[in-house]
Amino acid sequence: MTSFPLALRTGRSPAALSLAVLGLVATAGCTVANSSSNESSAQTGTVRIVLPQEPPTLEPCESTLTSTGVVVRSNITEPLLERNPTSGGLEPLLATKWEQSAPNVWTFTLRQGVKFQDGSDFTAEDAVASFDRAVNNSALACTVKGYVFDEDPLVLKAVDATTLTVETKQPDPLLPLRASFVEIVPAETSAKEKVREPVGTGPYKVAKWDAGQKLTLEAFPGYWGDKPGFGRAEYQWRDEGSVRAAMIVNGEADIATNLGSDDGAGDKGIAYPNNETTALRISTGEAPLNDIRIREAIDLSVDRDGIVKTLFANLGKPASQLIGPGVVGYNDALKPTPYDPHRAKQLVAEAKAAGVPVDKQIRLIARTAQFPKIAETVELVQSALADAGLNVKIEMLDTSAQLKYQQKPYPPNAGPYMVLVQHGNQAGDAAFTVDQYYKTDGAQSANGSVELDNMIDKAGALLDDARQVAFADVFKYQNEKIRGFVFIANMSGVLGRGDKVDYHPDAATGDEMRLSQMKPKG
Amino acid sequence: MLTFLRQRVLSSAVPLVVVVLGVFLMARLTGNPASLYLPENATQQMRDEFSRAHGFDKPLLAQMVDYFSGVIRLDFGQSLRTGESASTMALRAYPATLQLATVTMVLAVLLAIVIGSWAALNPNGVADRVSSFMSMTAASVPDFWLAIVGIWIFALTLGMLPTSGVDAGALSWVLPILTLLIRPLGVLTQVVRGAMISALSAPYVKLARSKGADEYRVISRHALRNASPPALTVAGDLAVGLVNGAVVVETIFGWPGIGKLMIDSILERDFAVLQAAVLLTAVTIFALNILIDIGYALLDARVRRKVTA
Repeated sequence: MTSFPLALRTGRSPAALSLAVLGLVATAGCTVANSSSNESSAQTGTVRIVLPQEPPTLEPCESTLTSTGVVVRSNITEPLLERNPTSGGLEPLLATKWEQSAPNVWTFTLRQGVKFQDGSDFTAEDAVASFDRAVNNSALACTVKGYVFDEDPLVLKAVDATTLTVETKQPDPLLPLRASFVEIVPAETSAKEKVREPVGTGPYKVAKWDAGQKLTLEAFPGYWGDKPGFGRAEYQWRDEGSVRAAMIVNGEADIATNLGSDDGAGDKGIAYPNNETTALRISTGEAPLNDIRIREAIDLSVDRDGIVKTLFANLGKPASQLIGPGVVGYNDALKPTPYDPHRAKQLVAEAKAAGVPVDKQIRLIARTAQFPKIAETVELVQSALADAGLNVKIEMLDTSAQLKYQQKPYPPNAGPYMVLVQHGNQAGDAAFTVDQYYKTDGAQSANGSVELDNMIDKAGALLDDARQVAFADVFKYQNEKIRGFVFIANMSGVLGRGDKVDYHPDAATGDEMRLSQMKPKG
Repeated sequence: MLTFLRQRVLSSAVPLVVVVLGVFLMARLTGNPASLYLPENATQQMRDEFSRAHGFDKPLLAQMVDYFSGVIRLDFGQSLRTGESASTMALRAYPATLQLATVTMVLAVLLAIVIGSWAALNPNGVADRVSSFMSMTAASVPDFWLAIVGIWIFALTLGMLPTSGVDAGALSWVLPILTLLIRPLGVLTQVVRGAMISALSAPYVKLARSKGADEYRVISRHALRNASPPALTVAGDLAVGLVNGAVVVETIFGWPGIGKLMIDSILERDFAVLQAAVLLTAVTIFALNILIDIGYALLDARVRRKVTA
């Protein structure tokens, strides 16, 4: 071996190497950092949106997943009807009329003249296939099935090209609301595999997806409704809220979602109620949490006003129940439990005197980065409970590990534990909350009673005012008789908005951000 | 040389298999990822179907056999998260990491040679003290802090650079590279400085000077060449860290590299992608180590003699 590295052999080698490095940067710049335009949105008619994470797929039947739904819903694909997040009412979209034609049957009249982005016509056969795919197909295991439909399959029929009937096993007054979660795709869409880039009837279609970098949608010229304000929409993703906020401040993005109060968006950050409620869900199966005095003591120990004011920077309001105002069933007579550490201590002492093992360690399980300041929130709760005389250990887990304690089947021999949950009721009806969390057989239930189950079943069969009153009673019963939850706050989100876009977030923005509501400013 | 390479390949194959096996087993220890991918109220039947479809219902040994037979056929399976081929995802992400790592390391080595040699020429002088202070600071500053401060200064305050992303051509590279560069540069500068101080006081340098060699030739042909092996060792270690994925930088700057892919795969229990990404980086590190060994042979006659013997 007689050769030597270039750098050590020639006098000009450092310069040569420098050139090589510059060349490398330039070459690399051509591959990873595509030197695409950095033009402003106004010049290109493009709205630039930065999200916390890349959608895993754009599969329409997974649109209840926030990261997917925020791009897909009502942008690429559309449902038959949609819920107005402000009024709560259902509005026509791909269906123009719907009626309960028999106790177990709903009939939808479909809009005519609608085309899919592949040029095919939208017919009742497509609606049948979409419902079948999303609800009846256990192999696809779509999340929409778990979120809004139960296990019973739907009987679907295309009566003619513009008429769809949906038959349920039991009379279902909420079927149109549930239908608002089913995004319509062509009948030819695979029923065996999830799709990454779907075809829909929405105002935008997928133009290009540079996986890992950027997703671009472009306006669909054959859209049946009003033309959207922007010709294109570009989605990027950054994990860090402060970086998303910096992109808004620096003019690199027009909309940034999921910001925190201290991410630095300044006056470009807009707070809005986001449907989410945070709470401690108590598993009541084991001592000391099986004693209602201990659960009441935990409830009294939480300083909700302090958490909202100091940790959440007044984004949100102290909560009294697992849903927020505006959801059918919300009980506005319930007030957040007042902070009373003195009474909490008394209750713990009483329980101890009665033989309850109050010094047994309680696990307080929370999900890392589930919402801003979650770590500080659980630390504050732990400290308050220690002051009350309880022995609480914090466990911050990643999503997968935390879900094992939030969703059934729960791990055996887990000991006494509480889980910090954040629940968002996207549907606007209490049934979608209590069926999951309050019924003893609910997928995320860890407490309850037979009496409460009966109340929920009865409330679910009612309509209008009677439904509102019955569900309000359910929430009251849980707070007074079960005490299985310690509600913390009805949360607010922060949306970053640049100067070139006119857009006003609403309660649904976090889950369904409609591009058609965004207009260029000026 | 071929014998040497063959020996290195064989000796590296064992740790490679151990790493891949370790990742396979540790991923399985986290349990079945059904909760992440199935509806909230998924029935036991749905959970069973999910496990069957992805092979999680098989005994661990059978899963391992399936995995290794797939690796031999270059079939790493499918991503649970995106439905794409795991190898496609890993191969798509890796060039971004490799480019970033290569540019960073080349710059770090060049700058460390210049600054380290400069400091060594005047030990305890102003240049030496300044470079030592900067090196120690650079080696101690966390990437995360540096990245955020870099965004604040260069993007938000001065408006010279984009905050993140890969859209702004060469400008997109500046902040990620500066953030990544600072630590290897700090470490390497100190190593070069120390090695150069030793080399410059060695008898062969004195001899070269006494024979009238000019200072540039003394530094480049005699001192620097003999100071290179320790710098190469440290540069190799640092490069291994970079090609393994610059997680913090990739996460903050939205750089679509393998580090971010691995972290996402861990969080989402996307075993196939994680395994493909780890195998890819392990093979690269293995290749890098062989290159470093060859580099030793090129730089050091004693090693070269052993290699060619």
